Amino acid sequence: MQGFTPNTDFSELHSTMRAIELASNSIQMQISPAASEAIILSLGQSSQPYKTCQFILENSLVATARFQAAAAIREAAIREWGFLNADDKRSLISFCLCYAMQHASSPDSYVQAKVSSVAAQLMKRGWLEVVAAEKETLFYQVNQAILGIHGVDVQFAGIKFLESLVSEFSPSTSSAMGLPREFHEQCRRSLERDYMKTFYQWTQEAASSVTNRIIESDSVVPEVKVCTAALDLMLQILNWDFRSNTSDTKINVFSAGVGQDGDSFRRPECHLVQPGSDWRDVLILSGHVGWLLSLYAALRPKFTYEGYWLDCPIAVSARKLIVQFCSLTGTVFLSDDGKMHERHLLQLLSGILEWVDPPDAVSKAIENGKSDSEMIDGCRAILAIANVTTPCVFDNLLKSMRAIGTLTFLSMWMSEVIKVLITRNTEDGTWSWEARDILLDTWTALLMPINTITVNDLLPSEGIKAAANLFGFIVECELRMASASAFNDEGDSDYLRASISAMDERLSSYALIARASIDVTIPLLTHVFSERVTRLNQGRGIIDLTETMEELYSLMLIIGHVIADEGEGEMPLVPNAIQTQFVVNSVEADKHPVILLSSTIIKFAEQCLNPEMRDSVFSPRLMESIIWFLARWSSTYLMSSDGIGEKILDSGHHYEHSSKKVLLSFFGEHNQGRVILDIIVRISLITLTSYPGEKDLQGLTCYMLLHSLVQQRHICVQLVALNSWHELANAFSTEKTLFLLDISHQRSLAQTLVRSASGVRNSEESSQYVRNLMGHIATYIVEMSSKSNLKNVAQQPDILLSVSCMLERLRGAASASEPRTQKAIYELGFSVMNPILVLLEVYKHESAVVYLLLKFVVDWVDGQITYLEAQETAAVVNFCMRLLQLYSSHNIGKISLSLSSSLLSEAQTDKYKDLRALLQLLSSLCSKDMIDFSSDSIEAQGTNISQVVYFGLHIVTPLISMDLLKYPKLCHDYFSLLSHLLEVYPETFAQLNSEAFNHILGTLDFGLHHQDVDVVSKCLRALQALASYHYKETGNGNIGLGAHAMGLKDSSGEVQEGLLSRFLRSLLQLLFFEDYSSDLISVAADALLPLILCEKGLYQVNDSS
Amino acid sequence: MSDEEHQFESKADAGASKTYPQQAGTIRKNGYIVIKNRPCKVVEVSTSKTGKHGHAKCHFVAIDIFTSKKLEDIVPSSHNCDVPHVNRTDYQLIDISEDGFVSLLTENGNTKDDLKLPTDDSLLTQIKDGFAEGKDLVVSVMSAMGEEQICALKDIGGKN
Repeated sequence: MQGFTPNTDFSELHSTMRAIELASNSIQMQISPAASEAIILSLGQSSQPYKTCQFILENSLVATARFQAAAAIREAAIREWGFLNADDKRSLISFCLCYAMQHASSPDSYVQAKVSSVAAQLMKRGWLEVVAAEKETLFYQVNQAILGIHGVDVQFAGIKFLESLVSEFSPSTSSAMGLPREFHEQCRRSLERDYMKTFYQWTQEAASSVTNRIIESDSVVPEVKVCTAALDLMLQILNWDFRSNTSDTKINVFSAGVGQDGDSFRRPECHLVQPGSDWRDVLILSGHVGWLLSLYAALRPKFTYEGYWLDCPIAVSARKLIVQFCSLTGTVFLSDDGKMHERHLLQLLSGILEWVDPPDAVSKAIENGKSDSEMIDGCRAILAIANVTTPCVFDNLLKSMRAIGTLTFLSMWMSEVIKVLITRNTEDGTWSWEARDILLDTWTALLMPINTITVNDLLPSEGIKAAANLFGFIVECELRMASASAFNDEGDSDYLRASISAMDERLSSYALIARASIDVTIPLLTHVFSERVTRLNQGRGIIDLTETMEELYSLMLIIGHVIADEGEGEMPLVPNAIQTQFVVNSVEADKHPVILLSSTIIKFAEQCLNPEMRDSVFSPRLMESIIWFLARWSSTYLMSSDGIGEKILDSGHHYEHSSKKVLLSFFGEHNQGRVILDIIVRISLITLTSYPGEKDLQGLTCYMLLHSLVQQRHICVQLVALNSWHELANAFSTEKTLFLLDISHQRSLAQTLVRSASGVRNSEESSQYVRNLMGHIATYIVEMSSKSNLKNVAQQPDILLSVSCMLERLRGAASASEPRTQKAIYELGFSVMNPILVLLEVYKHESAVVYLLLKFVVDWVDGQITYLEAQETAAVVNFCMRLLQLYSSHNIGKISLSLSSSLLSEAQTDKYKDLRALLQLLSSLCSKDMIDFSSDSIEAQGTNISQVVYFGLHIVTPLISMDLLKYPKLCHDYFSLLSHLLEVYPETFAQLNSEAFNHILGTLDFGLHHQDVDVVSKCLRALQALASYHYKETGNGNIGLGAHAMGLKDSSGEVQEGLLSRFLRSLLQLLFFEDYSSDLISVAADALLPLILCEKGLYQVNDSS
Repeated sequence: MSDEEHQFESKADAGASKTYPQQAGTIRKNGYIVIKNRPCKVVEVSTSKTGKHGHAKCHFVAIDIFTSKKLEDIVPSSHNCDVPHVNRTDYQLIDISEDGFVSLLTENGNTKDDLKLPTDDSLLTQIKDGFAEGKDLVVSVMSAMGEEQICALKDIGGKN
C-alpha cells in the first residue's frame, strides 16, 4: 500500500481524502472491512500525516472520514511527539481546539467531540514541556468560549473541552500514551494544583450566566444544554481524587487512580470529597450551593412542561451534583467545631427534603407512576450525609427545621419504604428494594462506629427510640414476609446457608439497628418468639402451622444475628451493646433479658427431642435454623473462656461489664453450661438419626455445630463426661442409621468424635477411647479383605457402600490425629495397611473407592509421619511405595471406552484427583526430612527419604499426561514437588539413572514454557538450585552433576548436550526472544547467574556471535 | 456345551440379585442407580425440598452405562432406590473375529466368545488398532442387569 507522504499537493490531498472517505463508508456498510480498515490504519501509521488529516477535517463532507482523520492525528502525534518541533506541536493543538470551537454548531457532534478530545490528549502529552504562558494563551481562548462571548454552542464546546481535559488528567480515565506512570502522576498533580479550581470557577460562572434564561423560560432553551454540561463538569471535578490537602502525602504511583467505581455508594467506605481549604471560597462562601438548590427548585415546577421531566438530563445532573455536595468534607470547612459544615449540610438537607417528605405521600406518588429518581437520590444524599457526620450531628440537623430529629425522620422514611416493599411483594430490582438497601447502609454508616468503640451516649435518646421503633417494624414486616412466603415453593435456593449469605448483609444491618436500642429490642424479640411458640403448641394437630414455622425460622435468623457475631474463625465476643447496656444484679441472673431470650429458644429447641412434637412441628427447615442458631450462639456464650476476651476489650477504659459477667457465668461450666451442652448434643443426635436423608440439616450439624464444639479443649472435657456424648459415640459405632449419612458427614463425625479425645483425662485413656471408637471399623476392613469370596462380593452395592463408609470414617479419624491420640491412630492405620492394598486390587475399576483409599492413606501419613520412629517410618514408606506401584500397574496404559463424553471426562477428573492425592502423599513423605519429632534418626533403618520420593515420583510421573497437567491444581502440585526435590536434594537427582533423569528434565523444560507464572518461577528456582549445586561441588573438586552436566552420547552414538548448557540456551532464548511476565525477572536472573558460571565458555561464544 | 449351560445358569443366578435397594440420600455422584429399569452412573445429584417445610428429595442426572443415554429421576431422599450390581472382569483379548465378536481368555483358561464388539466406530477402532499392532491387550468387561459390554482397554505388554 502507498504511504501518505507529508509534502503533497492539492490533488494528492484530494485523492487521499477520497480514499479515506470510501474506506470509512465501506466500513459502515460492511463491505470488505479488512481492506478498508487497513487503509484507515495506514493513515495514522504514516509519517507526519497532519496536513492530510487537517485537509480532510476541513474539506470532507463525510463525517466518519473526519472522525478517522482526527484519530489519525492523535495516533501519529503521540507516536512522533519527540520529533515534532515546538511550533508544530503548538499548531496541532490549536488547530484541534479551534476546529472544535468553530464547528461547535455543526451536525455530527461526535466528530467535534473526538477532535476536542484529541486536543486534550495532545495538550497533556506536551503538558510538562510547555511553559505556563503558552498554556495561558490557549486557556484564554477556552475561557472566552466558556464565558459565552461566541454564543451558546461555542460555550458548550468549551465546557466539553475542559471535561475531556479533566478526564484525560485523571489517572483512572486517562488514555495510554506509552509513557511511565510518573508522567501521568505529574500531570495530575500539576492540573490539580494550578488549574482545577480555575476551571471550576469558569464553569460556575458559565452556569450562573445562563441560569436566568432557563428559569425565566417555560420551554427548553439552548442554554439548558450549556447548564447541563456545566453541572456535569462540576460533578466531574468534585469527583477528582484530591490529594494535595489530604494528610497522606506519600503517593504510590502504581496504585494511584484505581478505584472510584460508580457503585462506591454501596460500600461502607463511601467516597468522600475532600478538596481542601483552598476551595472554601468557591464551594462554600460563594453561595454556590444555594444557587444549585434554587436552580433545582426552579426546575421542579417545570417538569410538567414540554421538554422537561424528572429524569431529563439537567435534572439528573443537578441532583447528582447535590448528592455529591453532601459528601463534601475535610478542611474545606473551617475548624469551628463543625458549625460551617453543619450549616452546609442543613442547607442541602432542606433542599433534599422536598424530594422525599412526607415519605408516605412521595411513595404513593411513585406507586402511581411518578419517577422514583428523586426518592433514590434522596436516599443516596442521606447516606452521604451519614458518612460525614456523627449520629448526634446527624440527628440535630433536622431539629432546627422540624420538631423531630433526623434519626426519627430516617426511621419513618425507612418504615415507609419497607411498607411498600412488603405490600407490593415485588421482585428484586424495584425502587423500594434499592431505597431499602441504601437506607440500611445509612443506618450501618451511623451505627457501625458505635458498635466497635463502645461509647454509650453517642446516640441521642430520641435516636435510640427511633431505632427501636424501626426495628420493631422491621421484625413485623419480616414476619409478614415469612408467613406470606411459607408456601412458596419456587427457587432451589431454599438451602439455609445460601439464603443466609444472601441475607447476611441485610441481617447484619438489622442487628446494628437492634443493638442501638438493645434494652427494648431483646424483650421484644423474646415476646414475639414466645408468642409464636405458644401458637405452635396450641395449634399442633389442629391447624396447618407452616406459616408459624416459617416465622420462627426467620426469627431464629434475626435473633442469631442480633445477639451473636460471626466468629469468622476467631472466637466471637459478646456484642458490645449487650455487654454494656444492661445493668443486672448477678443474683437475678435469670432475669437478664439475653438469658431469658436464649433460654426460651433453647427450651423450644429441646422440644424436638419429643417424637410427637418432632413429627408435627420440627420440620427439616426449622431444624436447620435451630442448628444454625445453636452453633452461632454457643460459640459466643457457651462456656466461653472469658479471660481472653475481657483483657482485649478492657484495655483502655475501665467499665465494669457486669452484664457480660453475668451472662458468661450463667452459661459457664459451673452453672447452666453443662445442661445446655447436653441438650445440644442430644438435639444433634436426633438430627442425625431421626431425619433420614436430610443431608443439608445433617451437614450443618456435623460441620457447623459439632465441629466447632470440639475446637476448644475445655468443652471437650465436658463433652466426654456427658452420657449423651457417649450415646452419640455408641450410635456412631453401632447404629445402622448413621451408616446412611452422607459419607463425608460420617468422616466429619469420626473426626469430631476422635478430636473430643483431647478432653479425656490422660493419654492412655484417650488412646483407649479412640480404640473403642474405631477398632471395629479396622476389624471390618481386615475381615473383609481376608474373605475368600471377596472378588465376588466386593462389587455388590451393599458391600461397596459399607466399605466406602468405613474408609471415610477411618479417614476422618486419621485427620484428627493429635500427639495424644497419635499412637492409637498409627496402630489403627498399621492394622489396615495390607487390607488397603488388597482392596485397591479388588476395586481397581471402582474409581470412587480407589479415591477413598488413597485419601485415607494421604491423611493418615500426613498426620503421622512427623512422629514416626525409624522402624515405623520404614514400614510406612514401604507401604506407600507398594501402594504407588500397585496403582500405577492398574492404570498405566489404560484407556476407558465409553460413548458418553461426560463419563469420559468424569474418568479423566477421577484420574486427576487420584494423582493429586498421590503427589500430596509424596509431599507428606518429603516433610519427614523437615520436621521430625521421633527419637532416633530414620537413617538408622536405612530409609533415605529423598530416594524414596524420587522413586515415587518416577512411578507417578508416567501417569501424568499433558492433558492432565491442564488441571491447574495438579500442575501446581506437581511442579511444587519437583522444584522442592531439586532444591533440597540435588545430590540424589545427580544419582538417578538416565531414563528417570531425562524424564525430569523433559518436564522441567515443559514447565519453563508454561503460561502460568508460578509454574515457570518454580522451574527457574529448580534450575538455580541445580546449577548452584553443580558450581559449588565442582569448585570443591567434586563431580557435581557429573556426566549429566557434561553431555552424553546416547544409544545411537550422537552427542547430547549437557543439561546445564541446554538450559542456559533455553533460558536465554526465553529471556531475549519470548514474551514473559515481568514478575519472573528476578527469579530468572537468580537462575541465570549460576548457569553462566557453570557454562562460561558457551556463554561467551554466544555472546560474541 | 456343558460349559455354556453352566454359564447360562450362573447368569440367571446373578439376575436374582441384580439390583439392591439403597436409600436415595446415600447415592452419590459417580455411584450407580437404576432409572427406568436401566443401570446408570450418576453424574449429578442435587437436593431440594418438597415445599419449604417438607422433606428433602434427590434429583439425579445419570447416564446409562451401556447406551450412554441421559436419564433423570426425582426420589424422596429417605426412600429406597434400586442400585444395580455392576461387575467388571478383566480378560485377555485373544482374537477379533470377522463377524464382530471377540474371543477372550478367562481366568480358568477357557475362552469366552459370546461378547460382541462395540458398534460405535471410534471405540471399535481403538480396540482393533491396538490388536492389529500386536499389543497384549486386556479388556475390562462391565456387566449389569444381564447385559455386558467392554468398558476399558489396557496394554499390558508395554514393559516386556
